[in-house]
Amino acid sequence: MKPTAIAEAIQSLAPWQQYICNACGYIYNEADGDPDGGLPPGTRYADIPDDWACPLCGVTKADFAPYTPPDLAALQAQAACTPTLTTRQAPGVVIVGAGRAGWQLAETLRAMDATLPITVVTACAGDVYDKPLLSVAVARQLSTEKLVRETGAAAAQRLNVRLLAHTHAIRICADTQQLRTTRGVLPYQHLVLAHGAQPALPSSLPAALCWRVNHLGAYLQLRAALGDTPKDVLIVGAGLVGSELANDLALGGHRITLLDTQPEPLARWHDAQAGAQVLQAWQDLPIRFVGGVSVAQVEKVQGRYRVTTACGQRFAADQVIAATGLQTPTRLAHSAGLAWRNGIEVEPATLRTSDPHIHALGDCITVDGQASRYIEPIARQARAIAADICGCTPVPYEPRPATVRVKTTSLPLTLH
Amino acid sequence: MNAADLPRDATHLPPLSGDALLTAVRAVAQGPLLQQVEAIDRQGHYPAAVLRQLAALGAMSAHLDTPVGAGSYALAIQAMAEVSRVCGATGFMMWCQAVCGLYLQQSGNPALMGELLADHSIGAGLGGTALSNPMKSYAQIESLLLKATPVDGGYRINGTLPWVSNLGPDHYCGAIAAVVDEAQQPLGKELMFLLRCDAPGVELRECPSFSAMEGTGTYAIRVKDLLIGADEIMADPAKPTIARIRAAFVMLQCGMAVGITQGAIDSMWAVEPQLGHVNQFLEDRPATLQAELDALTARVMKMAETPFDTRTEFFIDVLDARAHGAELCLRAAQSALMHQGARGYLMSSDVQRRVRESHFVAIVTPAIKHLRKEMARLSAEEMPA
Repeated sequence: MKPTAIAEAIQSLAPWQQYICNACGYIYNEADGDPDGGLPPGTRYADIPDDWACPLCGVTKADFAPYTPPDLAALQAQAACTPTLTTRQAPGVVIVGAGRAGWQLAETLRAMDATLPITVVTACAGDVYDKPLLSVAVARQLSTEKLVRETGAAAAQRLNVRLLAHTHAIRICADTQQLRTTRGVLPYQHLVLAHGAQPALPSSLPAALCWRVNHLGAYLQLRAALGDTPKDVLIVGAGLVGSELANDLALGGHRITLLDTQPEPLARWHDAQAGAQVLQAWQDLPIRFVGGVSVAQVEKVQGRYRVTTACGQRFAADQVIAATGLQTPTRLAHSAGLAWRNGIEVEPATLRTSDPHIHALGDCITVDGQASRYIEPIARQARAIAADICGCTPVPYEPRPATVRVKTTSLPLTLH
Repeated sequence: MNAADLPRDATHLPPLSGDALLTAVRAVAQGPLLQQVEAIDRQGHYPAAVLRQLAALGAMSAHLDTPVGAGSYALAIQAMAEVSRVCGATGFMMWCQAVCGLYLQQSGNPALMGELLADHSIGAGLGGTALSNPMKSYAQIESLLLKATPVDGGYRINGTLPWVSNLGPDHYCGAIAAVVDEAQQPLGKELMFLLRCDAPGVELRECPSFSAMEGTGTYAIRVKDLLIGADEIMADPAKPTIARIRAAFVMLQCGMAVGITQGAIDSMWAVEPQLGHVNQFLEDRPATLQAELDALTARVMKMAETPFDTRTEFFIDVLDARAHGAELCLRAAQSALMHQGARGYLMSSDVQRRVRESHFVAIVTPAIKHLRKEMARLSAEEMPA
């Protein structure tokens, strides 16, 4: 035999391959060919003429790619990890948000009623963690595993709650009592908004250039971006979050520049001389505080960031963090037409919103126009809501002035 | 005096006002269109005359700005809903024609905005949109199938697009190609252009049978070395134009969902006198569906006041309204079949046809799953790279 004939003979023994049409999903199997399209069974992909057309959608062989039939077991295992929605279930309680407020409420409700259907919808993985620890994680050398107290899936199983993780709540249809999400529509008997607040970014701080540390996912991304070697970090905003982060990252060896529009850090607690005290505490840390400035522009220049203030000062940094305050997202509340005053307005005793089927707690609410974005009230709020939903003896929530403990580790401050 | 001697604009009748337009559209839908519905759905009859008649009334150009005033997206959507209530396929072709007009008008290209747009607006020219693949490409679902290589005076286009609707031998459509160099390497931008079905290098190929809506003039387009010059360019680069028109593009589709849902509700009421005593045991009763449809329609009408709002939050609202429309359409068509029972199961029944039309609303780009994926993508927090 000639060499080409041998090659052809070997080729003909090769297993039949399959090719998939990228446009419509039709699968061409070499064994079957496409007799209607002029390709007898056994036509190799390589031998298909260029003008042959996909029998379903008409594209040519150039738009086909090699295809391997999927492993069903692997697909099933993968699908088991993806939340799905089964609609044939009593509506029960739907909670939006799986931070401290969302989980606290799920836990309190479950303690009161063992069979109440509870669904938690969250844009993140729903892992259980203590947000205040994000301010001391470097100093305490807390790894991801230590920060996550319990995975969302484990918490959902423990509490017999249906968790829809990585699912965005898009709209409330208050008239039909349905929550529209990116994984389908959830009917509810009671809806509880526990979605928190989101960083309020001034237009001079573009989201693509500034980190915000308001949840675990973003914090871990920031830590990954900082890496293991000391970096120049610029933090905009010297309130509680900005000051604590500055303190913690400085303890981790990073060089911090901390900017604020006020002349001192923690200016809200000026009367308690908080600013003077933290500046004193930071004396031996690589923290440079620059007060009385506002950021005019952030630019990315050759892999680093350049921050320019309104008064013309320039700073260079490897990473920029914005700690410029929080605001409650309006999407869900507005879609349901809920009363709004700097946040979702609730009636304090029961935490009901202006819609009798919707409660709210945590960072997204206001009482008399005032938000109180601290951990302490959450458990008391959850008890009030759970009692109201379950029809138990009311446990009215009473707003109290918050006591703030500033976790600036070298000199912790307690502020009222 | 011969009408042909008059300046073009003088031969146009003034556009009908909102109510008059809808009345006229309803008369066409429930008259000549109703006679052809089955042939359109099952036998692949392309209703060119009805489409031209609807276009001449202004039904597919109500959203376009004219020298005498701003367009009304609300009116265009309502007109599409009136037609979809009778025939989903024709409602869909109205959308094709309407968005093609939008591309022409938004192109800013005098060669496209003059006589071509004027003819298009009155139905003298018919065209569609080949943006299903690009829309999925922008949502990171698939890659672009057409490629454009820069050449002297324009671009050379190659590739094949499956399933483009409202086409015919003398039709045209708006299309988008990835711009690549001679070695097929991407040059980092896209080109939006007018693709004429009769241009050299363009071939229409028949598609296999669909489960419904056979008469929509749907073909695969095979493009081989098509030359595109300045006169055909709609946007170069395409992305800024797409960002500007994406909400309008998706919003207009709501007319199909609203109309098909209304048709389904109509057919539930039609059997209420005879079957109400037993239909009362069904979920999704007509009054409940009507209330949900009315709330959705009101929401869409409100959005239609600002079709060119480019904020992400607004676009998410539009995507959600479109998804809600598709979901409601599925439920209503299914429930109409339950309500009508065996008579709705006859092959000749509009009720089972509407079930198949509702499937189309759910799977045509952007499909329910695409809409949700895009909402999730747009809802994700942006962080530094």
